[in-house]
Amino acid sequence: MSFEEVDEGTHVVLAPEGKFNLVAAPPLKTRIDDLVAAGKARLVVDLHAVDFIDSSGLGALVGGLKSARQQGGDLRIAAAGDQVLAVLKLTNLDRILVPYATVEEALHDW
Amino acid sequence: MVMPPSTGRQEAEALARSVPAERYNRVVRLAQAIFGAPIAALNLIGNDSQFTVASVGFPKGEMPAADSVCHITVQQDQVLEVRDLREDERFAAIPAVIGPPRVRFYAGVPVRGQSGQNIGALCILDLAPRTLGRQQREMLADLGALLEHELAVQEEMDLAGQVQQLMLPTSAPDIAGVEIAGRVQPAREAGGDYFDWFVVNDPDGAGKRLQVVLGDVMGKGLAASLIASEVRAVLRGHSRYTDVGDAVVRTSTTTRHDLEANNRFSTLWVGRLDPITGALDYVDAGHGLAIIASQRGYRRLFQEYLPLGMPIEDTWARASDVLAEDELLVVVSDGVFDVLDDSFEEAETRLQTILDPGLSCRQIVDRIVDFAVSHAATDDVTALAVRRAARAGLDRTSQEPAHATTRS
Repeated sequence: MSFEEVDEGTHVVLAPEGKFNLVAAPPLKTRIDDLVAAGKARLVVDLHAVDFIDSSGLGALVGGLKSARQQGGDLRIAAAGDQVLAVLKLTNLDRILVPYATVEEALHDW
Repeated sequence: MVMPPSTGRQEAEALARSVPAERYNRVVRLAQAIFGAPIAALNLIGNDSQFTVASVGFPKGEMPAADSVCHITVQQDQVLEVRDLREDERFAAIPAVIGPPRVRFYAGVPVRGQSGQNIGALCILDLAPRTLGRQQREMLADLGALLEHELAVQEEMDLAGQVQQLMLPTSAPDIAGVEIAGRVQPAREAGGDYFDWFVVNDPDGAGKRLQVVLGDVMGKGLAASLIASEVRAVLRGHSRYTDVGDAVVRTSTTTRHDLEANNRFSTLWVGRLDPITGALDYVDAGHGLAIIASQRGYRRLFQEYLPLGMPIEDTWARASDVLAEDELLVVVSDGVFDVLDDSFEEAETRLQTILDPGLSCRQIVDRIVDFAVSHAATDDVTALAVRRAARAGLDRTSQEPAHATTRS
């Protein structure tokens, strides 16, 4: 799985696609860590093209959230599909990874 | 020729039956290409048989060890090279020489197993006599070492899976009035899913309770299984002294460092049942997949708590329900839920298939796990089923052995 990356200056949007699982999660997590280390700690993960997420995908998002917050930033998720929303809700992770409907909404106070 | 049994041959027998061949095909193909030989194979030598577990130009399968060349190779420590098998009295009459594919040339390097003994050989065969140069012999030995490493990794993984399997409860809990069964099917040799059950004394002094647990550590494989073992053991320890809510809080505190350091989290569903009254305390730490079901319908036993290992500490506390005598408690892992499109509506349509009162808990977990596996579950799959067995005076635990399996 590949992912798109757009640096908007104030924040970076990452957009994985397809299955966000054990195979796809580590590269995205590594990229998030690199971005955070480079001082870019405001991140939006645009999930509109992800049709399946598993616990490894969730783990990458939570891990990314943790690194971003440690550097005073945040990681937000946007445009999640039904399966992603169902899994977030099931695990109650929507409490810490609030799903925004669009990337624009995720940016509201940045 | 009858060979005495040995550790190496026992090991080869076990490996021949567990080995996923794709793992070795690459090295075998490499050997075939490097030596430009029509046939290359990895043969394991068991008690009486040779098992061709990976090959090019030769069928995989089993044949009598005495009909093979590799059974001689495993008895030595260096490359065995035979320029022309027809001219070697040890091999001139074996089926592959006198009949198709009528091989002439053989070179094989013995491959050692974990026991330190040779368990098989990587060999190349040609249809015309030839000889290997010194460099080629070294290269064959290198490829053999590569395979040895692959086999060692596989054996380690198998052993880790066995250890994890042996940590599952295998016998009925020592408490009257319940029937229980659980089953895990890891996606790999070991995994992050587990279930557990054990009897605890209620901290209020009200008697014995059956605690049941289903845990799911993020990820798959050996790394996830290590964390799962820790969470299991810590929860077991804390559960002896306190109620389920507090036990989960303490388990989170105790495992926090290890979960965070490894960037893992664990969902947990923990229930504590009084089989006499049906009173059920439970904690749902981000698991979400426990239901009580009967012909009258079903209800979810879920809470809003986070899994363990999240950036913020939660305040897990128990909730209560009552398991009626005609009701079934079912807990599954997300590997099951994934094949149901992560939808409770979809799950509900399947519910009737496990609610037949004639089914034992063991049959129920088998149905759930087999269903998930047959629908191409990619994750670890686990199911746990519990019901009270007091009805009609029938203590089913004494009739129905508890069930705990991995990789059936």
